[in-house]
Amino acid sequence: MRMNKELKRKIEEIYKDTRVEFPERNRMVVKTKKENLLPILEFLKSEEFRQLKAISCVDWIEEGEFELIYQVASLNSPLHIMVKVRIGRENAQIETIIKIFENAQVYEREIHELFGVKFKGNPNLSPLFLENWQSIPPFRKDFDTREYVKEVFDKIPRVESENEKS
Amino acid sequence: MDRKSIIKWIKEPGKMGHKYSLWAVYFCTGCGIIEIPPVITSRWDAERFGVIPVATPRQANLFMITGYVSLKTLKAIIRTYEQMPEPKYTVAFGSCPINGGMYWDSYNTIKHIDKYIPIDGWIAGCMPRPEAIFIAVTKLWMMIDKGAATGYIRYRKNYKFYRRNQEKLFGGLLWPPLYPVDENENE
Amino acid sequence: MRVVEFIFSPFLAFIIGVFFLGLFRKIVARIHTRYGPPIIQPLLDVIKLFHQKGFSHGVLFDLGLILSLAGSIVVILFLPLGGLCPLKSSGGLLVILYMMLFLPLGIALSGGEGANPNISIGISRKLILSLGYEVPFLLILLSVMSFYKTISIVDIVNSQKEFHWTLFSPLFFSGIAYFMILPAMLGIRPFDIVSAPQEISSGPQVEYGGKYLAFSCIQHAFSIFITIAIFVDLFLGGGENIFYFFLKMLVVFVSMVLIHSVFPRLRLEQALRYLWRWPTIFAFLGVIVSQIMR
Repeated sequence: MRMNKELKRKIEEIYKDTRVEFPERNRMVVKTKKENLLPILEFLKSEEFRQLKAISCVDWIEEGEFELIYQVASLNSPLHIMVKVRIGRENAQIETIIKIFENAQVYEREIHELFGVKFKGNPNLSPLFLENWQSIPPFRKDFDTREYVKEVFDKIPRVESENEKS
Repeated sequence: MDRKSIIKWIKEPGKMGHKYSLWAVYFCTGCGIIEIPPVITSRWDAERFGVIPVATPRQANLFMITGYVSLKTLKAIIRTYEQMPEPKYTVAFGSCPINGGMYWDSYNTIKHIDKYIPIDGWIAGCMPRPEAIFIAVTKLWMMIDKGAATGYIRYRKNYKFYRRNQEKLFGGLLWPPLYPVDENENE
Repeated sequence: MRVVEFIFSPFLAFIIGVFFLGLFRKIVARIHTRYGPPIIQPLLDVIKLFHQKGFSHGVLFDLGLILSLAGSIVVILFLPLGGLCPLKSSGGLLVILYMMLFLPLGIALSGGEGANPNISIGISRKLILSLGYEVPFLLILLSVMSFYKTISIVDIVNSQKEFHWTLFSPLFFSGIAYFMILPAMLGIRPFDIVSAPQEISSGPQVEYGGKYLAFSCIQHAFSIFITIAIFVDLFLGGGENIFYFFLKMLVVFVSMVLIHSVFPRLRLEQALRYLWRWPTIFAFLGVIVSQIMR
């Protein structure tokens, strides 16, 4: 516990506009601005939090923002840190963190495909799961999946009915 | 039993052979992968029906589509199906290939697989039990007896329409058509 | 009369080979406590395969398989099966050893034409495995040929009828060594590295479909028959007529199936290390002991 409070004090001292909270036991949430993201992650990596577990994205459509969550953990401590950054929804882009954690490349590729966030500096942002995709990124909250199914899949005719006509 | 009647074998060896030794490609699609190993191993033995899993599509004549099919899987299914020698039979398990099933409004799964690959028999369930799979195999035997399992003949006759559906879904395919398509299509 | 012998001998080998394949699946199924397919199931498989339209990859693809099948049939004509041996006065063991090379060579030739890398992996595994079991096999043949002072396999069978089986003579260690390399020559577990369905998608048989696979199954049946027949002829006394011969082959085959059903598959370097260690030691012992106690 004392080590966690120590960490919180260090972060809030060094970086401005940062808020650190402990919502549950062994969970720490660090909310920052976009510019502080890379220095904070480097600081955490130099402490002992060397493993990037995942990068997730939340679509806050009423506030018009995307929230990117970088989850880092350590092999020696039970603490699980989530670094949350908000970026605007129109023309969303952010720097890549491949220089610090190399395994972020695939997570950023997935978020680019499913949400539409550009990561500057990522060498490979080609699609992973979707084939022949021509609509808006599907995990956004304004994507209507029922309309998409009616447009793409239900419009393809069955083969028997074609044959009966011709 | 039918398998032991020599007269039928002498009259039509091809049909009897296709009934009593169906070799299945070991290609398992979605959720149904978990139902295939119990069917093949000791408890519900599929080898007494003559059904064994083989490793390559070139040696097989039964293709089982077990569960939901996403777009990437459909590409692999079409390529595998076209490599199998004729005559070949396909059976679809579960409710997802029939009409979309649980993923009826998903953006990445196929709702009616019959538009892209010809299907001979459907089994309802989510997932069907191994006993249902055996009932399907015996029904397939009866269909082969009557000459009603004609999926591959339909594929050959209507290949134009199947290929057009496949191309509309994927926006162009990388492999050439299996049977010659007419040149006077508006392509 | 000779013509009848020439036709009857491969036909008998075909029937016994197909029966052995079916018995194999049935015994393995019963060991797994399940009902298996009926014993004539391989025959039904071959009938089905002849009614399928396979794809051909070129002329050599077809011819290689025919070469392999023809090689097996010719080897059968040289073997004494009970009282039946069509070509008894030509060659003997050396010709059989030479003609047995055609079986994997034909498959390799046809596999070179099929454009699948799994085929070349399977063929390289087959050649390395035969490098493994050829070393003790040649030592065993050397000891047998120098003990009986002849290369004719018919003479070896006849002299076993007068005295006793080779297995109970000073060549005892050679018999043990031959029994130890018999799974590798048959291609069953623990040595079924060549056609491994889970690892390399059935090895050399990956591009066969339709009638090519039917010929491949028939060739597999012949090769099982040839391997066990040579063992029975050299070490277990041959047999006065067909029925005793078949009975001895059945005993050897069932023991091989029992070995197959309990072992997993070895890796290639483990198999090579095994084949060059214990069977080779026993074969050397066989050579030395038989020369001392001649």
